[in-house]
Amino acid sequence: MLCAMRRVFVAVAIVAAVAVVMRAAMLEAKPTQVAQPTQPVTGARLRGPEAFAGIADPAERSRALFLEASRVLTHPRCINCHPAGDVPHQGMTLELHYPPVVRGPKDRGVVGVECAGCHQDRNLELARVPGAPSWHLAPIEMAWVGKSPRAICEQMQDPKRNGGKTLAQIVEHNAHDKLVAWGWEPGAGREPVPGTQEQFGRLVAAWVETGAKCPPEEARP
Amino acid sequence: MTIRLRVNGVDRTVDADPEMPLLWALRDILGLTGTKYGCGQALCGACSVHLDGQVVRACVTPVRRAAGGAVTTIEGLSPDGNHPLQRAWMELGVPQCGFCQAGQLMTAAALLKAKPRPTDDEIDQSLAANLCRCGTYPRIRAAVRKAAGLPEK
Amino acid sequence: MSERPVLITRRSFLIGLNLSAGGLALGIFPAWSRADEPSGKSGKAPTTADAAEEAKAPGLNPNPFVHVGFDGLVTIVCARSEMGQGVRSSLPVLIADELGATLARVKVVQADGDAKYGDQNTDGSSSVRNFFDDLRRAGATARQMLVAAAAQRWNVQPDTCVAHDHVVEHRPTKRTLAFGELSAAAAKLPIPAEKSVTLRPRAELHHLGKELPFIDAAAYVTGKAAYGADVRVPEMLIAVIARPPAVGGKVLHYDPAPALAVPGVKRVIALPAPKAPYAFQAWGGVAVLAENTWAAMRGRAALKITWDAGENGTYDSDAYRRELAASLQKGGTRARNLGDVDAALAKAARVIDAEYYVPHLPQMPMEPPVAMAHVRGDRCEIWASTQNPQEARSTAAKLLGVPEERVTIHVTFLGGGFGRKSKADFVSEAVLLSKEARVPVRVQWTREDDVRHAYYNAVSTQRLRAGLDGRGKVVAWLHRTAFPPIGSTFAKVKGPTAEDLQQGVLDLALDVPNVRAEACAATAHVRIGWYRSVYNIFHAFAISSFMDEIAHARGQDPRDVLYELIGPPRTVSLADLGIGKLPNYGAPLATHPVDAGRLHGVVQRVTELARWNDRKREGRALGLAAHRSFLSYAACVASVVRDPERTVRVDEAWLVLDAGTIVNLDRVRAQLQGAIAMGISNALFGGVTMKKGATQESNFRDARIAGIRDVPRKLHVEIISSDGPPCGVGEPGVPPVAPAIANAIFALTGQRIRELPLLRALRV
Repeated sequence: MLCAMRRVFVAVAIVAAVAVVMRAAMLEAKPTQVAQPTQPVTGARLRGPEAFAGIADPAERSRALFLEASRVLTHPRCINCHPAGDVPHQGMTLELHYPPVVRGPKDRGVVGVECAGCHQDRNLELARVPGAPSWHLAPIEMAWVGKSPRAICEQMQDPKRNGGKTLAQIVEHNAHDKLVAWGWEPGAGREPVPGTQEQFGRLVAAWVETGAKCPPEEARP
Repeated sequence: MTIRLRVNGVDRTVDADPEMPLLWALRDILGLTGTKYGCGQALCGACSVHLDGQVVRACVTPVRRAAGGAVTTIEGLSPDGNHPLQRAWMELGVPQCGFCQAGQLMTAAALLKAKPRPTDDEIDQSLAANLCRCGTYPRIRAAVRKAAGLPEK
Repeated sequence: MSERPVLITRRSFLIGLNLSAGGLALGIFPAWSRADEPSGKSGKAPTTADAAEEAKAPGLNPNPFVHVGFDGLVTIVCARSEMGQGVRSSLPVLIADELGATLARVKVVQADGDAKYGDQNTDGSSSVRNFFDDLRRAGATARQMLVAAAAQRWNVQPDTCVAHDHVVEHRPTKRTLAFGELSAAAAKLPIPAEKSVTLRPRAELHHLGKELPFIDAAAYVTGKAAYGADVRVPEMLIAVIARPPAVGGKVLHYDPAPALAVPGVKRVIALPAPKAPYAFQAWGGVAVLAENTWAAMRGRAALKITWDAGENGTYDSDAYRRELAASLQKGGTRARNLGDVDAALAKAARVIDAEYYVPHLPQMPMEPPVAMAHVRGDRCEIWASTQNPQEARSTAAKLLGVPEERVTIHVTFLGGGFGRKSKADFVSEAVLLSKEARVPVRVQWTREDDVRHAYYNAVSTQRLRAGLDGRGKVVAWLHRTAFPPIGSTFAKVKGPTAEDLQQGVLDLALDVPNVRAEACAATAHVRIGWYRSVYNIFHAFAISSFMDEIAHARGQDPRDVLYELIGPPRTVSLADLGIGKLPNYGAPLATHPVDAGRLHGVVQRVTELARWNDRKREGRALGLAAHRSFLSYAACVASVVRDPERTVRVDEAWLVLDAGTIVNLDRVRAQLQGAIAMGISNALFGGVTMKKGATQESNFRDARIAGIRDVPRKLHVEIISSDGPPCGVGEPGVPPVAPAIANAIFALTGQRIRELPLLRALRV
């Protein structure tokens, strides 16, 4: 199956945005040897697609690239708003969102407690409320909480579960969406997702270019 | 910075830091003190007002967001305190200390506008983030139902 | 609790309305249809009772509480703070009923802080129980004078005349004269001596215990009720204060420049560090004074301060918990002793032993503390949401070194109090800052300030040990309790005194031959203060949990065991309790004994309402608890269920109160409903923790309180009808709620949780 040809959507809420060039430059120091999908990488570092150039088989490389990207996708900053139920999460341990809010019919809360009733277009430092344009939950079909990288990979390519995006649109979304970008600039006191959005965007692009293969079920970054 | 907004049907001008939360613009600059400060972090709902018909927590809403918009506060919920919710609130003796009630009422008013006959679950969901330390919740539920013309439980 | 206050200590005849009754909150019964205009807004100094205007309105004014104008308008002063208990809809009614006034022609004015009103500390569930007769006498005095004036006019005997519906009627002839027609003549008559004032028979108090108008309802639902932060005066600055993390900490160094750079910030002022005992001193720190609240908050955030952690800078609540447990091991001062507990325990066929822990609880009223002060020369005017205006007044006078008469304090509406606002520390801050800044200063506490710098309810650890004989009957009861008492806020003390144990330990009716209670040492490292129902919270939690444990250990129904432990209906004497004296919340034992029958009665009624046996058979997880506090008796049944989101939740609750005579039935009902909510907060979420002296929690996200979804839709409260002397109502509903929930959780899960908050300890 030619995944690259498939029309795929993702109305994913939390994954892409403005490149933060300075940080990208700092973090760009990366290994040149072949990266193994299972090799642990700690802290804020995210390996760019270059790190995977040594994997000769494009399919293998594609899987490794996705696994690396999944370090962003499965980070609490991202999955907190891709809940498997009706309540978003918060914090690094996926506690339930407080105050108690629910998804609502359009993933933007219910009347009286809409996401935008509290979350602004940017983070509020004094009030500690995180914010970015169009703050909302990923639709339930895009739930990531509790999912393996492979499951998320398949989900991202399934038109029924990605909001009707082509793979090209997915790349664009992940690389430039402002709500996705929030993951790297989550505000004081919150751990950002690894790397930069620019790097992440390139990872996703390279994954698509290499056939958008999915890692094995048990594979973890 | 000068910000123009409509508050309770009246055009107002606020000269303030654009990042100043709407709450303080209303209270400290416009003198509308019915909207209350309870937490400053959008956790308690005491500052709930309507911005262009939607409930926002005024304590975290920068006043710049209200520029050109229409804000309704408790002072403007009804001309003379006779909104069906205000009447139900009085008839059922909902308030105790009263401090959270402006926020409760504004949230409930938005709920009834969107859902004129809400279920108990819908009432609970919409008011879940409006805290009341006196514990007036059972009467809040009953008063929303009363204002909606739903039968007593 | 304090001695019973003496009201109306002197004849206080004032021409016209007494001038200092110029509080913010003013209302007319019934308030709904009439404009209610609490002022304090739009740049005008907030005095609702315009002194000059009202001085011109003479009338009958035999005491500080009641005034009858020439137009017949009856003005009644409410001298207790309105904080949600409905006191302004309750106390004035007693006066009006004695007077024979029509409520629609009664205006209620909030008193300033002044000793002439008797004790104004709105605390200890005392407003009705302590003022019931005195306020009636205030109304009856005015009535007697109106009647005397009418009798003179008609030349008849006063005892042939009655006052009702705002008129005096001559019974034989049915002639009437309106109050307004009589007030001038009545004002000229001598004020009858207290002993010659006759109170009406109860049956003539037509509003007592009935549904009463809610005088402030309209103000509350239209945003017009003026709370502390709603007071505005010209030239006022708003202060937000950066306080050291631990009480007793000091500012070592700070740079005001970044704060002063924030637009709108006018002054940065360091406050003096307090010295132990901290009492009602300002906490210290650095204040940022600004034109508006936002600028003050931003200015505070910009401050860079180096703190000296001070003498409490190592306080760690986890370590302290171990200290309290060790203190229990050592034993303490005997506060209650009956028979020989040690011998009975030694002989017991079985000993049950359990330790309970309840952390520091913050009051967290929805309105954080706010006070405004304006110091001008040797005068000071204060507006504050205070439960205790007299204390605030004397605190301010002492700070300024002026006589109290130079300090005026107006009481605003309180956005909840729960004990937090009986402390004058925030008033001290406003006074100090206004003195320094020479402008009116309103100190605004943020929620973080409120959570971190409260006067917390005492943290406590308790150990209960019961000895059972061969048939399971409890023959020995040992209760050790260790907690830093409120006294530590005012003096150096090493632990609770025997008297501190009156709240639930000394006054517990037990039908057990050998009983001992001990007060164990505990030193305070934070400010300890009152919080709705105070020590009763943890004493009730331990005792009622323990009784449930005994029942389960015996394989018996908890209600049966509770009845057995309380014993047969009877008045329990001091000797039977095993104590020498009982403070008894300031009330005489003759009128307010320890009554096992009333405790039994509320248990019986609440379990009837809950259909205890039936529902248990149906598989419902129910828990039961009962407790005497503030002279009242309350019992609660809680039902809990598993909840996917919140592990467990309370899905139904029943609460029954026996508080003797009730003045305002609906407001008491409301407070019982509220007590369940607060009890749920205490039980499921409550408590703060400290590390290095600093409170770790800061706002509702981590210091949670119950929301609408946490309070059951099915919530039943009932008040036992009684003609007995009035007892407390604001607090007594709270203590039995948490243990009822803990016992219900045991019924549901088999897990015995001996500490609050329950959800933290619950294994899912």
